[in-house]
Amino acid sequence: MKKAIATLLAVGLAASLFAGCGGSETSSAQTAEGATSTAAETDAPLEGEITFWHSFTQGARMDAIQKAADAFMQENPGVKINIETYSWGDFNTKWNAGITTGDLPDISTAQGTGEVVEMINAGVINPMDDIVDEIGRDRFSENALADMTVDGAVYGIPYYSHAQVMWYRTDLLEAAGLEIPQTWDEFYDAAVALTKDGTYGAAFSCSPNDLLCSRYLNYYVVSAGGSLLNDDLTANLTSPEAIDGINFWVNVYKNCSPAETINYTVNDHATLFYQGTTAFDFNSGFMISGVQSNTPEIAEYVRCAPLPRMNADDPVYSAETSHIPLVEWSNTEHPEICKAFIEYLYQDDNYIEFIHAVPVGMLPALSDIATNEAYLNDPTIQEYADCVDVIQEAVDNGHAIGFEHGPTPQASYLTSQGVIEEMFQDIITNGTDVETAAKDAEDRLNEIFDTMIA
Amino acid sequence: MKGIKTGAASVYPKKDRNLTRWLFVGPAMLVVLCLLVYPLGSTLLYSFTNKTLIKTTYSFKGLENYIKILSDPDFLRAFGTTLVWTFSSLLGQLLVGFTGALALNRINNRITRPIYRICMIIPWAFPSVAIALVWKWMLNGIQGYIPTMLMNLGLSDSMIQFLSDPKLVLPTLVFINIWFGAPMIMVNVYAALQTVPRDQYEAAVIDGANAWQSFIHITVPHIKVVVGLLVVLRTIWVFNNFDIIFMTTAGGPAGRTTTMPIYIYELGWTNKLVGRASAASILLLIFLIAVCLIYFAVITHWEKEDRA
Amino acid sequence: MKKGKRVGDILCNVYLIILAVFAVFPLLWLLVSSFKSSSEMLNNPTKILPIQWTLENFKTVLITLNFTINIRNSVIIAAATTLIAIVISSLAAYGVVRFFPKLGDVMTKVLVTTYMFPSIMLVIPYAMVMAKLGLTNTRIGLVLVYLSFSVPYAVWMLVGFFKTVPIGIEEAARIDGANKLQVFVRVVLPLVAPGIVSTAIYVFINAWNEYLYSMILMSSSDKTTISVAVKTLEGADILNWGSLMAACAIVVVPSIIFFCFIQSKLAGGLSDGAVK
Repeated sequence: MKKAIATLLAVGLAASLFAGCGGSETSSAQTAEGATSTAAETDAPLEGEITFWHSFTQGARMDAIQKAADAFMQENPGVKINIETYSWGDFNTKWNAGITTGDLPDISTAQGTGEVVEMINAGVINPMDDIVDEIGRDRFSENALADMTVDGAVYGIPYYSHAQVMWYRTDLLEAAGLEIPQTWDEFYDAAVALTKDGTYGAAFSCSPNDLLCSRYLNYYVVSAGGSLLNDDLTANLTSPEAIDGINFWVNVYKNCSPAETINYTVNDHATLFYQGTTAFDFNSGFMISGVQSNTPEIAEYVRCAPLPRMNADDPVYSAETSHIPLVEWSNTEHPEICKAFIEYLYQDDNYIEFIHAVPVGMLPALSDIATNEAYLNDPTIQEYADCVDVIQEAVDNGHAIGFEHGPTPQASYLTSQGVIEEMFQDIITNGTDVETAAKDAEDRLNEIFDTMIA
Repeated sequence: MKGIKTGAASVYPKKDRNLTRWLFVGPAMLVVLCLLVYPLGSTLLYSFTNKTLIKTTYSFKGLENYIKILSDPDFLRAFGTTLVWTFSSLLGQLLVGFTGALALNRINNRITRPIYRICMIIPWAFPSVAIALVWKWMLNGIQGYIPTMLMNLGLSDSMIQFLSDPKLVLPTLVFINIWFGAPMIMVNVYAALQTVPRDQYEAAVIDGANAWQSFIHITVPHIKVVVGLLVVLRTIWVFNNFDIIFMTTAGGPAGRTTTMPIYIYELGWTNKLVGRASAASILLLIFLIAVCLIYFAVITHWEKEDRA
Repeated sequence: MKKGKRVGDILCNVYLIILAVFAVFPLLWLLVSSFKSSSEMLNNPTKILPIQWTLENFKTVLITLNFTINIRNSVIIAAATTLIAIVISSLAAYGVVRFFPKLGDVMTKVLVTTYMFPSIMLVIPYAMVMAKLGLTNTRIGLVLVYLSFSVPYAVWMLVGFFKTVPIGIEEAARIDGANKLQVFVRVVLPLVAPGIVSTAIYVFINAWNEYLYSMILMSSSDKTTISVAVKTLEGADILNWGSLMAACAIVVVPSIIFFCFIQSKLAGGLSDGAVK
């Protein structure tokens, strides 16, 4: 284990030495030129073809990116940008296969900082410090960049951010005479009370092809001050808070959730809330556009609050923040086009148009945009301004799952292998004893860490 | 009756079997060599290494993958699930397909027969992604048609969780597979039934045989080779089927529907352990070949019987 | 005797009606669901016909995905696979039957063995081969891969058909001075045409329905097949069952129309070759 980390460190260090030097040189040169704005484009016309993979299958985001690419191609007639869209579930499979086939993009999104670490571990993406500096390093949140920094080099640029909060239906709470839950116990009682007449209190979904169990368990463990990773980067599912958490969610499944959710993925799960089947859910601001497009008549009753805590007087915390980044692939033959295009995407107008594709769902990763008038001039952002504040606070204070210990491959494998999901399925379906199942899952995770990070 | 064995009469004399005969079989042999030998070789090679999906380098680990897999309780369970899945799907497909074909063969109505036939082959036109989506929607445990209907009719107290109840999920998938696969059996058995010479039945009736006796002594001998060949193809297809299960339950809940292909997919693509997935593939292949050798022996035996 | 026969016929009809209903119901449900609004699907789960027919789902699907391109790809890929596989396989099947009295049996069995390779095992090596040949993400590459399961299947079926051709006819042609290939094309092929058609249909359907290879090997949405395109829809963020059913309808209905036209040919299949 230690040897693995040492090797990783050494490789990363070597890479960052080169990248770091190159990065700082170019960036200083470019800031000097930056005064005359689009310096790169005036030097020599850009020429070549790049491929951009993203996982934004939702119409508006897809269109916003396509529009930006079309405009960029118009400004740079020598450039062709091919855009490919993969569903969230296929995205990882596609680039994994691409390492074998060599069929990889020049730029892509990643499904969060965990996947970036996986890409760094596979040695397939480039440091992007020069682009970060060009856009303005201080415009990004420090936490966001830190989650993608390995040995001093930034490997991804946050494109948008969101964080996990608790969503509830004001109409259902009011009808049942319930307050907004502050603690896990209050949440559980409210969820049980609201499970009736075809409505379910909250869903708990366990598809091993997704990470919902890891996500939910992590809320609980973080709220108790724990972590799913030990300081030595081994998995920890057997701490008292993890065991409590497992029991807690198994009870939620048994008493408040539709039974079918045992095979549900993130999308299936969220659709339940979009359609008004569940009264509570834990998710990011994507909930709003989901409800608006599925069941517009309940949209006005949808609101969010910080995640429940252990005790009502505990401070508000943030369990999971996601920064969805753009990354540049090492096999690119046109880093100059990648750089120019990424910078183009972050120009205020283009950036705001993209963020407006899912208002509240995607919060700007650039701090100055959050107060930009053009950005605030959106009916959804105005209607849900209170939700934006709740989510923004969570974004500012949180990390990705397992990233309390920095961006490590362990944190990435913790959620990507479906081990925690299979553990929950095992407990629920086979009635396996919680402590035994937790120990087994912990051992399996540690074995995967050892094999994959060796 | 002609089967796999080539009767001497249908072969060209030796002097005509010169080098040009290789031109006929050459392209097919090339396809097999290029498309199957290399993958088999590389799978065999990787099965002895620690190759992962996202690294291009690997080192040899001897039999470690095989030992790990054979001692993995999940592998043994996946293997057992595959046997249940294959055996019950095949049995169901044969039963439905066979009886459907017999019933269809009995009906002489020129209008209803083609209608039945078209209706009954419709499932075959479903690509697996459509199979999965339609059944998931009909069996959906929250507002699916079938569970809601069963509850409204008073046949169940609550919504039946076809795809998440651990006891129901595998039978449900087998049912879906029978729905999809029976038409192919039916169409082929039906075609075979039509080739049975009518005069043999008439002769049997004159000899005083009842319907059951003519079925056993005339129908079955005539069509058993066709059915045998079909069973070989279907066994392989069902055993290796990945799409239907992957897109309905992805192997869940708690591995209740994890068959070998799903198990291999999880090893190779979720855990990214290509070496270990390769070893599992090789074990699967060895088992399949063994099963098919038994089938071949049975079919060859039947053919010998026919010729005798 | 007469009465017993009538009862038997009625039982047969009842049984066939039950089977037909089972077979057709999912198609029916798919079609009606695709015309329902999402709130209707939610609130009236057991009502068969839509209260209000809507084309909204079809609109969503057709706008989100360029389905026509994917359907065209599937047709091209499946047709090319079928054509190549049938040419190669009929040559091989004929060769095995006529020229390899001893080896032939072994050859067909080796072929069936290759049909046993699970696609989940082959997909990683294929990805590598295609990368080396520069054929990743090309339709040609996918057609080549599809040959791997089409050729063994087709040869296995065609061997049966070729065995039904009496050698006497060929010998007559040979005496007239035709060479082996001429005999094959002019004399033998017309005789086994029905068998070839039904084999071709099987191969076409298998290629049309394939999912895994296409998902892994094709990365451009404008080159991939319809199965993969539909699956992408399922993973999309905001899509309801209505839209998914509309997408399925777009894939399934053309296949069913195709089936209605060819259904008399389908009856051939394996049996025509092996029995007769």
